[in-house]
Amino acid sequence: MHSRAESGPPAPAGIKNPPPPSDESGDESERLPSDGRFICRLCGYEHQPVRLARGERAVCARCGATLAKGVRDGADVPLAFAITGLIFALPAAVLPVLTASKFGNEHSALILSGVAALSHGGLQPIAMLVLICGILGPVVLLAILIALLLTTRLGAAPPPAALFLFAQQLSRWAMPEVHVLAVLVAFAKLGDLVTISIGPGLWFYGGMVLSIVIAWRSFDLEIPAPVSRHGEVIS
Amino acid sequence: MSSASSGRFPHARVVALAASAVVMLVPANLLPVISTNISGEARTDTIYSGIVGLWQQGLWGIAAIVFTASILVPFLKLAGLTSLLIASHWRPNRHARQLTRFYAGLDFIGRWSMLDVFLVGLLSGLVQFGSLASIEPRPGIAAFATVVVLTMLATQSFDPRVLWPTHQRGSLTP
Repeated sequence: MHSRAESGPPAPAGIKNPPPPSDESGDESERLPSDGRFICRLCGYEHQPVRLARGERAVCARCGATLAKGVRDGADVPLAFAITGLIFALPAAVLPVLTASKFGNEHSALILSGVAALSHGGLQPIAMLVLICGILGPVVLLAILIALLLTTRLGAAPPPAALFLFAQQLSRWAMPEVHVLAVLVAFAKLGDLVTISIGPGLWFYGGMVLSIVIAWRSFDLEIPAPVSRHGEVIS
Repeated sequence: MSSASSGRFPHARVVALAASAVVMLVPANLLPVISTNISGEARTDTIYSGIVGLWQQGLWGIAAIVFTASILVPFLKLAGLTSLLIASHWRPNRHARQLTRFYAGLDFIGRWSMLDVFLVGLLSGLVQFGSLASIEPRPGIAAFATVVVLTMLATQSFDPRVLWPTHQRGSLTP
């Protein structure tokens, strides 16, 4: 079996490859002062970190995965949205998400009501899973994002790579967008059985989800930490 | 994770997690996940009968979404991981680029399986009108959540770098 030309030469550890190609002419991109290597999170190909211009996209030279996107809206936008998301988290937690009424009785559910119901039903581990994936994960992720972005913004010492790695791991388990879909499915499903209406908590929760998506979108590039997906910290 | 993905059995962890997920698929799909009692009319639902119920309510789009998230996605992930494990025996793989893309897709869709777990929690948290109307979770949802977590862990444990020529970690024999 012969290796294909597009694969490029094998990259032994320690040898840096040319900067990844970008959508637009990326040749004028200046190199970051840091000496960190940027490892493709999928195929492990090594790249030298480059500063991307607005709207540029860095793709892996070997497997074609998107490595990072250029800042689209200005450097402070991710931080602004991360703070917005954290502010939204409080009303999202204490205001009703859905309100059901039946036989003159009215009952409102908070985003946490599902956790309580699962716990009462004797399914504490599942309640914990829902708590982490739906509420705790997103909030902690936002807090870490703010901490990481603020230290960069204020020019303080670079944040520990372990924190970045933790945020990456946590982002796989924080899935508030799936929770929003579940609320909408519940709303549709219960329409036949009870009178149901959407409460203000859902709007704040949805706002938090959007904030996370926007803040996280530009995050990978903002701090090109030389961290691979499988837990090795290379520096 | 890295210690398990090198050595003689580089995929031991992925295989173990995926096999456990396959085993747990049985109770996840056979046990009831939710019980509904509205106006004296009681019923329990499995994942599948819940989808059929949505379909019979006329909520075809919603039924399709829940079917995709709860049945199609776990199946696709386990079948996809199996084919990736088989493909990784030919290394370097001629289709490494496509397979890596495929893996990224599998990794992306996995989280949507949590939909049913969130849904059972929300429904039972909301419909609490005592003897008039109540919805309660049933242990099947624990089995289903276990499948979701196991498939996510299995996908995360698979290292797509084994598809590429230079696998720098560990001491893999050619």
